[in-house]
Amino acid sequence: MGEPILVTGMGIVSAIGLDCAETLQSLQAGKTGIGALRYLKTIHQEFPVGEVQLSTDEMARRLNIPDGQPRTRTSLMGMMALDQALRHAQLSDADRSKAIFVSGTTVGGMDMSEQFYMDFLHNDLHNDYISQHDCGACTESIADHFGPFASVSTLSTACSSAANAIINGANAIREGSCEIAVVGGSECLTKIHLNGFNSLMILDQEQCRPFDETRAGLNLGEGAAFLVIESEASALRRGVSPIAVLEGYGNACDAYHQTASSPDGEGAFLSMKQALADAGLTPADIDYVNAHGTGTLNNDVSESQAMFRLFGPKVPPVSSTKSFTGHTTSASGSIEAVICILALQEQFLPLNLGWKHQMPDGITPVTDLHPSRPLKHVLCNSFGFGGNDSSLVFGLTTEQSVAGGSSSLATTKSPVSKPLFITSAAQISIQRGLSEEWMDSPILYDEPYVRSLDIDYKQWLSPAESRRMGKLLKRALVTSLSAMQQSGVEHPDAVITGTGLGCMENTEIMLMHLWAEGEQNCKPTPFMQSTHNTISSLVSIHTHSHGYNATYAHKGASFDCALEDAWLQMQLGRINVVLVGGQDEMTPNYFGMLCKTGALGNPSQIAGETAVSLMLSADSTPDAMCKLTYFKRCYCPTPDVLSHIAAEIGDVDAVMTSVSGSTALSSESLLEASRLFPDTPLMQFKNIFGESFTAYGLGVYATANILQKQRYPETMLIPGFRHPSECRRILVLNQVDGKDYTFTLLESL
Amino acid sequence: MEELIKEIKKNIIEVLNLEDLTPEDIENDAPLFGEGLGLDSIDALELIVMMEKEYGIKLKNPAEGKEIFKSINVMAQYISDHRTK
Repeated sequence: MGEPILVTGMGIVSAIGLDCAETLQSLQAGKTGIGALRYLKTIHQEFPVGEVQLSTDEMARRLNIPDGQPRTRTSLMGMMALDQALRHAQLSDADRSKAIFVSGTTVGGMDMSEQFYMDFLHNDLHNDYISQHDCGACTESIADHFGPFASVSTLSTACSSAANAIINGANAIREGSCEIAVVGGSECLTKIHLNGFNSLMILDQEQCRPFDETRAGLNLGEGAAFLVIESEASALRRGVSPIAVLEGYGNACDAYHQTASSPDGEGAFLSMKQALADAGLTPADIDYVNAHGTGTLNNDVSESQAMFRLFGPKVPPVSSTKSFTGHTTSASGSIEAVICILALQEQFLPLNLGWKHQMPDGITPVTDLHPSRPLKHVLCNSFGFGGNDSSLVFGLTTEQSVAGGSSSLATTKSPVSKPLFITSAAQISIQRGLSEEWMDSPILYDEPYVRSLDIDYKQWLSPAESRRMGKLLKRALVTSLSAMQQSGVEHPDAVITGTGLGCMENTEIMLMHLWAEGEQNCKPTPFMQSTHNTISSLVSIHTHSHGYNATYAHKGASFDCALEDAWLQMQLGRINVVLVGGQDEMTPNYFGMLCKTGALGNPSQIAGETAVSLMLSADSTPDAMCKLTYFKRCYCPTPDVLSHIAAEIGDVDAVMTSVSGSTALSSESLLEASRLFPDTPLMQFKNIFGESFTAYGLGVYATANILQKQRYPETMLIPGFRHPSECRRILVLNQVDGKDYTFTLLESL
Repeated sequence: MEELIKEIKKNIIEVLNLEDLTPEDIENDAPLFGEGLGLDSIDALELIVMMEKEYGIKLKNPAEGKEIFKSINVMAQYISDHRTK
């Protein structure tokens, strides 16, 4: 059982209202937000959707965003919901700057990218939007509208993204690395999404009817919701009353198929079971389930089976509020969490609109607003493509849960972290793949852009398995399999992946298709593979691993977020053997676009590609490479915060920096590293491995090898610095855009 | 029909990325899904897109695909009966 976390604020924007009060009103009146398309410009008028009833410009005006400042619909909806949550929790600027922000999205800035893609490629009209495309940029623009947070991360596990953001924030609070987390997700409707779901033939042309025998698919929706969650100690100190308690949560992988749930709902069953155990509850304690309930033929059977397995014949009241909001995909986890909390507060059962006909193999959903017994504990399900299944349990706050807090307050967590061990590692990059040849004779490039050196994948994957996989998926899967093989792990407790852009090649196929052929005949495979979590899911599907599975898509700190998740959960003892990956490809088009923004193409900078997998273990193994003894991320830190972190780390033999060519940012980060760690040799890895969103993973990989083998290629030492006198403690330092920092301390064994 | 069968096989190999196969490797009456060629539900969706694009045949329900994609012979018959281009 884990420590309960208090919810002290929430905000929501969806098709059924622009705040909590409007949302509650619609829910209690049984008024759906699903209707004819109004704002998204698409030929597919046949599909009803749940749109937020404001144009993008109207949203910007409400938020006082100046004209001309780049804005995406996902980030604007996120700002609207976040504003409500911060106010509701009475979070001061000082509180906020100590809180972490974790947001889930899949589309990021796609609403603009799909409009401007041809301009990105062929002219300079909309260059501002190039750097708004990715998920991490979207999260940062939501956060930055309010001022700095202590750290900022982006989850991208398709339709469970926001639920996993809530879980990540709660883990950080339980671990003690923060006291307050602001968590949730945001997702707008886009043509790519609409056409992608259409290509999977799972969109209903009528109003969706979850759990109905005649259901014929889902209706897409959009929206955003955020929760402020915090420790009891923090809420007491701030003098704020909780509105609900996050009692427990679970995350499991169905490990069955990229776009379908297993017939017996294994992943859903495991995630619900885990959430109950974490909350210290039995199935009989659950008074209401907010189902994932998309209304597709597949989901509703699978989820019903999972509920029958968990609850037996006595299934508690269940409803899918997607019949109100539409399927808000990456935001659904937090939107439905807010709905669950409203149900607890107001003691009503949200309805399951449109249900008439009993499914022979399905649950019978709620038809009466009035519960037959008080709602004390509710379960909220969110399942994503790839079988990324997550469940949250919320409970009512009682006087006891707050007043009793003073006696049951968790004692201050031990400031000493458990060391973790990197037990194996593998890479495929612009250096020879699955080899450590780079240590003695690295390939040095003069070109500004180099593609990965692919290996012969046939040794690892059969043609039938690999025929649908793009290069990145093959690289990611093979580095994962290699790391697993080296450490003798068949089923890791968790598979956690960082990827800045996911399979960009597939995203580009879709964008090009929209331009070249319009919204006709869009293909399902590129859509399926354009979701960021395809990579992590593939690893779990291929290895039949049902454990925790998550994907982070946060710019140049994507791998860092994945490593942070592993670190937090391993410190908490939730997981012990974890496969952490960093996976990105660099397409020629995207390279060209990043050159326009100045992010790439600078003198001596090399754009590369990353596929790296590390096995982390809570226990040492005979072949372990090194120890991981300190980990910290921070966002827009003050000089004092940085000095404090440097003092916590202490003396190191060298700092492995993420400098990238001779950019101004690189020279600043070198100066900063010299200031924080005076008289310490500075090293670099991107001159060998190149720049990409997850290149930091290669920096950690390279440093683990240096500590294990006690040697490094000369060219890794930054000119002007002495050689390290020994290689015992090396700090791997990442800096993204000069504001997002990661400190990973590795030590030799 | 022979010509159409050959064309369908070429299309299948292309859209499903069956690089290692030639049209001759695909038997006319062998099942495409499950055993036989071992295709799955995503392949079925890709074939539905291919039918619309190449032959102007629009399937509303993915379940219809199950019958139509039983084998190359069944598929060819369906296409020649229903094609609009």
